[in-house]
Amino acid sequence: MARRIEMDTALMKAALWTGVALVAAMIVSQGILMHFIGPPSPNLTAQELAQKFIARKGEIRVGCLVMCMFWCFWATWSMAITIFIRKMEKGYPILTYCSIALNGGGYVFFILIPMTWAVIAYRPETLDPAIMQIMNDWVWFDYLFTWPPFAAWMAIIGLAILKDHNLPTLYPRWVAYLNFWCAILIFPAGLIVFFKTGPFAYDGVGAFWIPFFIFFGWMVTMTVTTFQAIARRRLTLEAELDAAIEAEPSPSAL
Amino acid sequence: MTTLVETESLSTPKRVPGEPGAWIFILGDMCVFAVFFSVYLVQRAHDPELFARSQEQLNRNLGALNTIFLLMSSLLVVLAVRAVRQDAHRHLAPYLFVGAIVCGVCFVVVKAFEYHEKIAAGITPETNSFFMYYFVLTGVHLFHLVFGMGVLSVLWRLAKHENPSGLHLAFIEGGACFWHMVDLLWIVLFPLLFLVR
Amino acid sequence: MSTLLRTPASVVWLVLVGATAVSWTLGTDNGLGPDTQRLAGIAILAIAFVKVRFIGLYFMELREAPSVLRGFFELYCAAVGTLVLALFLFAH
Repeated sequence: MARRIEMDTALMKAALWTGVALVAAMIVSQGILMHFIGPPSPNLTAQELAQKFIARKGEIRVGCLVMCMFWCFWATWSMAITIFIRKMEKGYPILTYCSIALNGGGYVFFILIPMTWAVIAYRPETLDPAIMQIMNDWVWFDYLFTWPPFAAWMAIIGLAILKDHNLPTLYPRWVAYLNFWCAILIFPAGLIVFFKTGPFAYDGVGAFWIPFFIFFGWMVTMTVTTFQAIARRRLTLEAELDAAIEAEPSPSAL
Repeated sequence: MTTLVETESLSTPKRVPGEPGAWIFILGDMCVFAVFFSVYLVQRAHDPELFARSQEQLNRNLGALNTIFLLMSSLLVVLAVRAVRQDAHRHLAPYLFVGAIVCGVCFVVVKAFEYHEKIAAGITPETNSFFMYYFVLTGVHLFHLVFGMGVLSVLWRLAKHENPSGLHLAFIEGGACFWHMVDLLWIVLFPLLFLVR
Repeated sequence: MSTLLRTPASVVWLVLVGATAVSWTLGTDNGLGPDTQRLAGIAILAIAFVKVRFIGLYFMELREAPSVLRGFFELYCAAVGTLVLALFLFAH
């Protein structure tokens, strides 16, 4: 009877690749199509902002459709890592359940972003520019001001890695410290509520660009290190399986 | 073979305090703050009178008091780490960590009072460029400090173990270094924002 | 407890507290003219980075760290200290 290790590496890797697809889709949709990498200035008048949506309404509609599809992959990507959190913690899976809860909410924040842009671009010529301005502000706050659940999850990943009881550990310990650091580094995204201009407005270098590059850079790093963890875990599981098969009495001995 | 190597090395063997991974975090954070310091000084140069005038409204005594609180907490952390390493003194370590946390709480209370003083006087992050940097830089530092107090409470728990493992000790050292970084950053921030003009 | 205190770090701490007092005095004396204020500013910033170095070497125990780590820290103190002083004096 052929026995297989209990981890389906193909599916695990596919889940990780969905995260790569998420980032690629963002670059194409938000960047190339919508011209929303970086944000329009919060200091624009409602009229100026309305013009941006009217001018690119076709690109925004298509871009949002694409982004909505690919951004639900936050859920699948984050669960690949959460599976390893389950393997790293012993006993009652508190960190795992926190991860599931945080990320289950997380993808909602993600797809509300393209959904809202799509609604703004739905009737941009007749929609009151003042309303468009509020909705656009809302999107950028959804993009940035909602940093806490993501920082909380980064801290949980770090904690899980430091408490990993496996030998060898699933992730190298520096990944834990990197997660703690990234959690702190995206904090300035929360400052956007205080400013309409300057480095901590939602188009500023401190509140947008740095957290933006940190967050997506962190996604890339976690993807690479999780691929490595899958490879490492597979070796361990295969060795355990071989040892178990060796230890079984051969049929002729019965 | 090993004894030969030991007797030949006259200096104490070099070791990384804590874990290498922790230093990515600590040094990286220090670099981010170095960028903050530089950006502040460049902005100040655009309007030195505004910055000097606004700076006068800061409470330097409270800033100095906070510096003392942080220095005291760092000393307590140094003593706590020393205590954890010595069997005879390990029982003192949890109290020392608690002492450091209390100093941290004092810092937060003073800072809250300082912010309240400003806001009650109508000064907010949006008042002018100087006050934006004042609130943001001290706010980001405060966030690090609160995170650091979380780290200290983990160290307090670890210090209660009768026989801490190698990993425990490495984490305690790394956590202590993070706290010293929080102190170190304030040592630059306080004169930069409050004193020099 | 006294054995715990018997370490160079305790002496360094006293120096740090003293340096803080000196900086605070220099920084709060409002009777100084603009040129003296600049000199005071230089002194205060230089003292700050000396304090940073002490904290790294004695509190963070980098004195006993491998050369790469200690070297990076010393470079940080020198480079950032110089940058801060230069920007304070010459930026416009």
